[in-house]
Amino acid sequence: MASSGAEEADPGEREREEHGDLHHQRRLASSLTARYSDWVLEALDELPGSFLLTDPALAGHPIVYASRGLTALTGYARREVLGSGARVFQGAATDRAAVAGVREAVRAQRAHQVAILNYRRDGSPHWVLLHLAPVFHARDGSVLHFLAVQVPIDDAGRGAGAPCRGAQGAVLAACREEARVDDDFPCASYSGKVFVDMDKRGLEAEKPRVASDSEKEKAISTANSIVAALNRYSKLTGLVVSGKRCDSVGIPALSSSLNLSLGRIKQSFVLTHSCLPDMPIIYASDAFLSLTGYSREEILGCNCRVLNGPGTSLEVIEEINQHICSEQACTVDLLSYRKDGSSFPDLLHVSPIRDASGKVAFHIWVHLDVGAKHDFNGLTPEVWQLGAVGAVRVAVRGLSASGSLLRPSQ
Amino acid sequence: MVSATKVEGEYSFLSKNSHLDQSEGVKTHLYHFGAEHGNDDLKSTACPEQGPSLLDTILLSQWDNFAWKGHLDYDVTACQLKVIEGGINFVGQLNNKWNSFSLKEYDKLFESFRCSKPNSMKSYEGLLLCVAQGENDRPEVAPSASPPKDGLLLIANAYPVEYGHIFLVPAAVNQLSCYWDKRMFGLATKIASEVNNAAFRVFFDSRTHVVSDHMFFQACYFPNPLPVESASTVVLYEYGGNARSDIIVSETVGYPLKAIVFTSNNLKALVNVVSEICFSLHDNTTAYSLLISNNGTKVFLFPQVKNLVTGCSLSTWECGGYFIYHTKFEFDNASETEISKRMASVSLQDSAFEDLKHLCCAIAHDLVK
Repeated sequence: MASSGAEEADPGEREREEHGDLHHQRRLASSLTARYSDWVLEALDELPGSFLLTDPALAGHPIVYASRGLTALTGYARREVLGSGARVFQGAATDRAAVAGVREAVRAQRAHQVAILNYRRDGSPHWVLLHLAPVFHARDGSVLHFLAVQVPIDDAGRGAGAPCRGAQGAVLAACREEARVDDDFPCASYSGKVFVDMDKRGLEAEKPRVASDSEKEKAISTANSIVAALNRYSKLTGLVVSGKRCDSVGIPALSSSLNLSLGRIKQSFVLTHSCLPDMPIIYASDAFLSLTGYSREEILGCNCRVLNGPGTSLEVIEEINQHICSEQACTVDLLSYRKDGSSFPDLLHVSPIRDASGKVAFHIWVHLDVGAKHDFNGLTPEVWQLGAVGAVRVAVRGLSASGSLLRPSQ
Repeated sequence: MVSATKVEGEYSFLSKNSHLDQSEGVKTHLYHFGAEHGNDDLKSTACPEQGPSLLDTILLSQWDNFAWKGHLDYDVTACQLKVIEGGINFVGQLNNKWNSFSLKEYDKLFESFRCSKPNSMKSYEGLLLCVAQGENDRPEVAPSASPPKDGLLLIANAYPVEYGHIFLVPAAVNQLSCYWDKRMFGLATKIASEVNNAAFRVFFDSRTHVVSDHMFFQACYFPNPLPVESASTVVLYEYGGNARSDIIVSETVGYPLKAIVFTSNNLKALVNVVSEICFSLHDNTTAYSLLISNNGTKVFLFPQVKNLVTGCSLSTWECGGYFIYHTKFEFDNASETEISKRMASVSLQDSAFEDLKHLCCAIAHDLVK
């Protein structure tokens, strides 16, 4: 795709090539605009940072979008990378194991973060934190795109030891060798300008860099912004995307009398089905939808982890999981995230709820935005929250005429 | 949580406390009725948009907290429920841990709440809430206050029959040792009205709910209508004059235990009529149970005779149609026929019931003029 810097082709061929380029470019752009409204490109253009969107459905898993920040970081013009595979940024010294890890994550359709050595357009290597994440179709769980965020890793060791120039030089030389074999490497486009000190020979393997916490957070927050932007513009074409896979098929419906009782409860809460795999949300109160910004259709069937984000403490999540496994209740403080990516300090109470059979049927998750102003008529936040738990316990304990609470879904 | 700290002069926390006024020490959430409800109107149906009432929320919350801390003897929501086959739809619960307290235990329990002995701090956990009349228009909650003398203490029952099972006990012992406390009955009914939740019912059993000549009530939550609440009724007396103080007296039809139902939207009328009737029953040494339901607008009266053969009688809950079975065998083999027989055996004889019906109508007529 990128101009190879070869000799000039004849004008006719050049024209056809350009026309082919244009057609190809349109095809790549439509990968996005077919799913989201046309404004999605503008919205993505406004996001800072260097990132790509790739489409696994097209041959070669090409890059279909590159952000403005890409040029500053990598030296590539955006249109140069469109249509290439993302490995265009890799080079000879890029750790093969890291690359394999990325490939595996793509295959398994899961998020992945790795510090990796990339090469700029001019052939200079630099370390980036690569954050890869799939973008799921919220309804059928298929992967629409992959997003890849590149956050430069600070050169922490500057001046501490001898810079590994020798290695770079050797690598460049080797790179040029390989370039004759493989067109993908950027060095193929680089024609002989040496700007590294070739005096120091001797390969010193460069130690893999470690990304700092702030760099990791930056990567995740950029990823969240991208998904939020896609969501904002997907609604216009009727598509809902999610960073997490949700499966709304097969959720049992609650009986109408139970729905009615639950509907009276004013607190912000969801009920998850304790027996179905991955504990999907089967009920969400209106207050919960207002608090988090999700619609009922979007949230039903999802796991509660949709509210997790970069600042959510993993220890707290683990604590919740342990209590769920031991059928105990717990109250925790954690950072939760709304649909638009904004976060709030959440006082969360999770508790198992038994139905008339005496067995645990659901879990209740009661949320409270501690940062917002509340008036609970003299009750403390904790008392207010448990009030919802008690009310749900009473409602779920009821017997219907047929003796069962849930109808199977259609 | 209370912890003993060494203060200057080597006074421990406990000894410091004994110098203080005796009424200090017990502190709990204090719920004040709003004064606007002083006009005796009872709400019979909850408005769905409003959601649970403040009293409902705090009571459920306190009870759930008490359960969460592990103070209950068992998790009643883990006890299996079923509808017993037949037209009446009696409810059965499998619970091998429940047992009704003996009178002595009730006495001890309530005594520990009345005296503010610092070393009985542990029993304070069960004190969920105190309810008293308030002065402001709207109801309000004080998170930590000493119970006023005319208040009602709501104490969790560690052996619950159903979720939210509590005792309603007067905060201070009435000087007049009177068996029937009309004011207390009024408060209990008012609480039912304020909770404003059809699942919440208050009950009284003349045989067991009197300790040291003082009555107390119990209450709990159950979301389905009790069988007696679904039973057909026939009106015996209906005051057609002043609509505000209307009271309807009816009897159940087709229910194995003879029962009389008092329905009214006026708290005062209900309390006056039912109190008067209970006095008479007490004089006749007739055992009876009361079930206050439908947000305090309906009172079921279950008069009983002592079964001379088995000596058994039914608890209020059982009168309402809800039975607890201790073994799986009994639970599986529970039958409507067997329950109906038990109910019939403690039911009043026809002639005695007729007399009672006449009495009820006469009292209603006299008092609601």
